[in-house]
Amino acid sequence: MISGAGLKLGKRRKVLFSISFALIVGLASRFYSIQIINYDSYLNKSAKNSVRKIIKTAPRGIIYDRNLIPIVDNRPTYSLSLVPYDVTEEFNYSLFEKITNLPELAIKSKIESAKKRFSKFKPFSLKRHVDFKERSKIEENKLEFPGVNFSEFPARTYPNEARLTHVLGYLRTVTDEALRKADSELNYQYGDVFGFSGLERIYEKKLRGNDGVEFRLVDIYGIDHGKYVTDREYDIEMGKPLILSIDSRLQIKAESLLLDKKGSVICMNPQNGEVLAFVSSPDYDLKSFIGPIPNKLWDEWNQNSEKPLMNRGIQGTYPPGSIIKLISAGYALDNNIIDANWSVICDGAYSYGDRMFHCWNIAGHGHVDMMQSIKYSCNIFYYQLIQKIGFQNWSNIVSEFGFGKKTGIDIPGEKRGIVPNKKYMNDKYTSRGWGKGSLLNFVIGQGDMLVTPQQVIQIMNLISTSGNSFEPHFIKGVHSNPLNVSLKNSTWEFLKNATSIVVNDDDGTGKNAKSIFGKVAGKTGTAQNPHGEDHSWFSGYITLPNNKIMSLAVIIENGGKGSKAGASTAGELFDEFAKLNK
Amino acid sequence: MNWILTKIVSRSPIIKVNYRIVFPIIILCILSLILLNSTSTESIFIESTFSRQLLWLAMGVFVFIGSQFLRIQFFNEYAYHFYVILIIGILGTYFMPIKGGSQRWLFFGPISIQPSEMGKVLIVFVLAKLLSDQRENFNHLRILLITILLAGIPALMVFNQPDLGTAIIYLAITYPMLYWAGIRPYYLFIVVAPAISVLAAFNIIAFYLWMLLLIVLFIYSQPKVFEGVILFVLNVGCGLLTPYIWSNILYEHQRNRILTFLDPLRDPQGAGYQIIQSMTAIGSGGFWGAGLGHGTQTHLRYLPVRDTDFIISVSGEELGLFSIILILSSYIFFIYWMLVYAEKIRNNFSSLVMIGFVSILFVHLLVNMGMTVGLFPVTGLPAPFISYGGSFLLTCILMIGLINNIINNEI
Repeated sequence: MISGAGLKLGKRRKVLFSISFALIVGLASRFYSIQIINYDSYLNKSAKNSVRKIIKTAPRGIIYDRNLIPIVDNRPTYSLSLVPYDVTEEFNYSLFEKITNLPELAIKSKIESAKKRFSKFKPFSLKRHVDFKERSKIEENKLEFPGVNFSEFPARTYPNEARLTHVLGYLRTVTDEALRKADSELNYQYGDVFGFSGLERIYEKKLRGNDGVEFRLVDIYGIDHGKYVTDREYDIEMGKPLILSIDSRLQIKAESLLLDKKGSVICMNPQNGEVLAFVSSPDYDLKSFIGPIPNKLWDEWNQNSEKPLMNRGIQGTYPPGSIIKLISAGYALDNNIIDANWSVICDGAYSYGDRMFHCWNIAGHGHVDMMQSIKYSCNIFYYQLIQKIGFQNWSNIVSEFGFGKKTGIDIPGEKRGIVPNKKYMNDKYTSRGWGKGSLLNFVIGQGDMLVTPQQVIQIMNLISTSGNSFEPHFIKGVHSNPLNVSLKNSTWEFLKNATSIVVNDDDGTGKNAKSIFGKVAGKTGTAQNPHGEDHSWFSGYITLPNNKIMSLAVIIENGGKGSKAGASTAGELFDEFAKLNK
Repeated sequence: MNWILTKIVSRSPIIKVNYRIVFPIIILCILSLILLNSTSTESIFIESTFSRQLLWLAMGVFVFIGSQFLRIQFFNEYAYHFYVILIIGILGTYFMPIKGGSQRWLFFGPISIQPSEMGKVLIVFVLAKLLSDQRENFNHLRILLITILLAGIPALMVFNQPDLGTAIIYLAITYPMLYWAGIRPYYLFIVVAPAISVLAAFNIIAFYLWMLLLIVLFIYSQPKVFEGVILFVLNVGCGLLTPYIWSNILYEHQRNRILTFLDPLRDPQGAGYQIIQSMTAIGSGGFWGAGLGHGTQTHLRYLPVRDTDFIISVSGEELGLFSIILILSSYIFFIYWMLVYAEKIRNNFSSLVMIGFVSILFVHLLVNMGMTVGLFPVTGLPAPFISYGGSFLLTCILMIGLINNIINNEI
């Protein structure tokens, strides 16, 4: 080899080897730095690249009636998406628009732009809550729609004929931060569905399941490559079922009776507070949408003058009418203010101060004792009785029966109603703006006093159980708080007799509520309505031969006298209850 | 005909396998098959990269055996002829259709030939011939310029195809070969000096220090005064012109392209994308790797061109640093013995061919592996014996065959 001016060959070899070795070591140290020193950060990066967290929506708990007939169930709904890469020239946009109502041009441009990106293999969502029918239509023409995909998630379905609209409530979607953070325990995410009203809301924690989390390997194009096994994964946990105290058959009957009417019906078991049927009419149709309630629909209902969103059973406040007289009568007896033989003469009108107060029967009832005052619902008797009781005592005892406060029922939005007392009247009218005459109105259930049907039914719950009832609730088998009013047994017996006579005597006001299957007791009421026909009240209870008791409150708005619409509706429900509980 | 055969074929070749040379190569080939078996996803076995690589290797065995019968001095005698054919071949590619964004191939019906690939071997022959033909006291500067010209012309031509990687190889082999041939390191230095001047020109202090160092070196090396002054002025000129060209002649996008080429990570969505994915793959491998078939970067296609350019990344991800050390150890073992044999060989031409070949293989490896860890720009140079690809593999095996032949017959 040429020696030249350079180094000897052996030296050159050593120099070349040293350089090579240095380069190799340099390269190795670079790999060492990446693979050993920065291992964790690259591993993390690699996982971020390829592991996608998939949330699997847990179905909400099923809601059953007391006989385990499902009232609210789940069904799959579908989310429609397109994989841009698979959308070819043959895609029939116009047919697609016809089926889905998605505008052709918008979809076209979306797909064209997506095709140019890396994400062209990744399905993008076009429409959520596609129902089975729409899906079928698309599937039938599948060849016309290359690239179409469906994914499934659960939505509510209502398989039962019983609507139970206001009790069940509806769902909404978590759309803002406040909602998301509303309950840390529930750990809401954007887009989650949650119970917004009714039982769906109150029992949210029970009904809402735990969403499953699955990790999937996704390649650079977004194509799924199966499960990524990790201990951070957990399975779907379906929401727990809710077994209601509602009897769907009774509910169906009650709903049919209120069809095309405005008003409310509540049926309960006074012995444990279970609600057996609960209707508020008019209602809205939970079946008319899939998934969470659409805002547009909600607005429409909200603006409807019939107020279908209002739950009349707990939010409708009406004057109680004559039903409230029972409390004054009971109080007066119990406290020996009068005895059962104390009587008045009713000639159809009563003069107090400078005002005339009338009985509903202008002809007058003649000689009226307490029993008759209830049977005929005579006003004159109470105009005189209340003067012996006094305002404060009347307010107190009425409140003790649960008026003017929430009943504690397990659906949200309950109204308190109003039980007037001196303070209330002074605040509203100033101390000189009202006179004792107002009291004469209150005692017959007119004027400022306002009650909900749910409060009214409690009178009957208490009478039928001699003052030992329970707060209302919708869940079968749970014990709610007791509702107690302590009156003498003789007083309860008197009230039971009186209400029984109202229904069972041929000239009683509540005779339309009679049932051949059991012993019915009750009281009618007429809530004066300055805007139109009066509202028709009836509240009562039936005792079957097998000692089962069902209490009930009915109000039919603009139904006229309680003895008509209210009582006859009650009669049909008593019959139905008796048939169902033979 | 017979005359040609006697020129090409050796009369009585010694045929045996030198395991010091072949053993590390076999390790690399086996590793390649293991990695390709992991990345092969084709449902039909025959179409998989694994089975094709296996087929190429089988052909490689024949190439290796065949190369044992060649007369090495034939390449010495006809080196310039080969060189001319190479130049014509590369010129020919300019008249061929563009494929994959570059014109590298000559198409003869269904057969396509990439002249620049064989060019790597042929340039080694021509340089070895040029350098081995020199007598003592040759004119170093003249030889330096001729060498650079001989390698530079085809390098420029392939650079224009464009094929930067091959151009780098052509130029990179000149250095070790010149050094082995005995050129004074000073002359090697002055070739790179202007390039350093260009880089130093971006920082005024660095530039002054560099100029100072140049003056010291020139005085120390004692070249002819005229030569020294010319070289110094050339370097100063390069340094002074650079900022001007950079800011006044180059456009913004050209400046960006150069910066991105030098540092791909500054463009993570574009040029740096592949390298980031590659580094992620390698880094996530750790020491033992994720296991064959378990590399998510590899198998979920986050890693680009994983069978060829980025096969090292697959190795890093699935077999970890362990496999990287195995590869590098195989190479250093191979280089060590190549240098030992190159020293022993009496024939200057053959000795220089050995150095040329080992340089080709090593530069490929350095550039390829450096690329996967962000040390070098993406140039498309494969990792010898590891990357998938037939013609390059056969070229490399031919070199190993010739090396084996030289060791057997010329020591």
